[in-house]
Amino acid sequence: MKLLRALSFCLVACTVRAFEVEDFFDRLDNTLTIAAFEDNLRARLSGTIDLEAYHFQQPAPGLIDSNIDNLFNPRLTLFLDAQLGFQIYFFTQSRLDRGFDPSDHDAQIRLDEYALRFTPWEDGRFNLQVGKFATVVGNWVPRHLSWENPFINAPLVYENVTAISDKAAPVSPRNFIGRFDNEKYEFNPVIWGPSYASGISFSGRLGRFDYATEMKNSSLSSRPESWSVTAIGFEHPTFSGRVGFRPNQIWNFGLSASDGPYFRPEAEQTLPPGRDIGDYREFVLGQDVSFASHHLQLWAEFYEARFEVPRVGDADTFAYYLEAKYKFTPQLFGALRWNQQLFGNVSDGTGGQFHWGQDLGRIDVAAGYRFTSHTQLKLQYSFQQETTGPRDDNHLIAAQLTVRF
Amino acid sequence: MRRLAGFNTVVALLPISVLAQATVEGRVGLPKSHSAPVVAKRYEIVTRAGVLSTQPPLAVVYLAGFPKVRLSPTNQIAQKNLAFVPSLLPVQVGTKVEFPNLDDTYHSIFSYSPAKRFDLGRYRPEERPIPSQVFDTPGLVTLRCDIHEHMRGLILVLDTPYFVVTGADGRFRLSRLPAGHYTLKAWIDSKTTRERPVELKSGETLHIDFP
Repeated sequence: MKLLRALSFCLVACTVRAFEVEDFFDRLDNTLTIAAFEDNLRARLSGTIDLEAYHFQQPAPGLIDSNIDNLFNPRLTLFLDAQLGFQIYFFTQSRLDRGFDPSDHDAQIRLDEYALRFTPWEDGRFNLQVGKFATVVGNWVPRHLSWENPFINAPLVYENVTAISDKAAPVSPRNFIGRFDNEKYEFNPVIWGPSYASGISFSGRLGRFDYATEMKNSSLSSRPESWSVTAIGFEHPTFSGRVGFRPNQIWNFGLSASDGPYFRPEAEQTLPPGRDIGDYREFVLGQDVSFASHHLQLWAEFYEARFEVPRVGDADTFAYYLEAKYKFTPQLFGALRWNQQLFGNVSDGTGGQFHWGQDLGRIDVAAGYRFTSHTQLKLQYSFQQETTGPRDDNHLIAAQLTVRF
Repeated sequence: MRRLAGFNTVVALLPISVLAQATVEGRVGLPKSHSAPVVAKRYEIVTRAGVLSTQPPLAVVYLAGFPKVRLSPTNQIAQKNLAFVPSLLPVQVGTKVEFPNLDDTYHSIFSYSPAKRFDLGRYRPEERPIPSQVFDTPGLVTLRCDIHEHMRGLILVLDTPYFVVTGADGRFRLSRLPAGHYTLKAWIDSKTTRERPVELKSGETLHIDFP
């Protein structure tokens, strides 16, 4: 109750004193930007404070890791952007929160991203980036942070946990499915959020085309604990890439692909004799499209993924979403997203076949209001239903207050 | 653009200016220059190298305290090299300001300032007619871009036709002013406006400094 009162007070204060609030943050921004060597070195510290509240049914949807139905998830994110001359760009993202994904765990501090980018030519035809950073696959990454994302959660394909586990191989086809109900966080989605794995990327723009390719230490489905080079080395790298075509500013089309082993080192002992981690890979093919004109923005991504599963064979899945955002007024926007994931069949080992996951659909509806250019409130309702199997459904209501500085 | 930017001193269009002969010149003490902004390129992995130039602080000197003269002039603030050009534009109440996009990328200009709330949405360089807004309430309007977080521009909407932007050294010259008793103001930033009462006499040049 106290929290709600404090939140209400903050919102009223933001609205009534909007101009002063804006002015304060603009001055703070100036203070947090420094320069040296005749402006050749510039650095800026910025960040967001997110206060998220969730109400959901158990089991918690997506990658939410909580056994309680009501979850409060505060997060402080700090960014450092630095530019040296025109050729060198460096950035970091660090977070203080209750876990990379919303959870009821204790507070933790992480350095989620750090990268050094070298841009030898000013026209951007070639960039080299080294570090720990978001994947180049698809078109969701550029809007995955709380301020840019019209929703509070990620599209289904980035957070729907499947029967794939990177920690242990199944002992049989039946075990592949049967073990899935045990502990959700032991399993993996097709793409785990923005996939801040470590590695190197090359990217650039050539006329209306752009390209980006990366070599990372972990697959797209890998969990946050696998993204650091201190946890997983480059013995079994994942290669990913995207080619984009922008006929004009309105449309943007992209084709992505990724290939790499998905098991963590501790899974080695659970693999069939004579096989190693490199024998079991995750293949992903993606198509994305986006449209933007005036107050309307549309995005869509389509992913076909294949996991090579020991003692089971190939497990295929197809996932997509269609997303729209519209600004009704300068400060009010609404967003709608339809997500679906379909699973293929795998052999049961006795000549039969079975679905390796329950097909499901999810609709997300969100509204957002920007009190100032530094303060935003989002409300979201999601309804998810399995369209095969027990047809379980799940309702999620979420609110997120973001202060950007 | 340059022709319109020179419109800052709009006296040429005013009937009252026929009788205007007085001049005020001087210098405004400007605050220390801010560091140039840093472009956040974290998730634009395909980016151009663009480094923003430093924009020195400027002030606006204007004459207040005489009968209102309503005009409907047009002015422009462009988006060029991921910055607002000019970064500070004084306009008279009623001015229509166009926002041409001179970059080869989208911009999405908006303002939540009480003096003018608007959002132009995403628009291309070739967008016609050029997106514009009429500024009909005096006050400070902060311009931002929803796509490029670092972009910030200011429009100072004034209820006077007599104003000028200082040079980077703070010097200004406001000429062809009507004779009489007025208040000369120097807007320095959102928190700081200095003012001095002045008596302008036809044919005379007054020297005023705002230290």
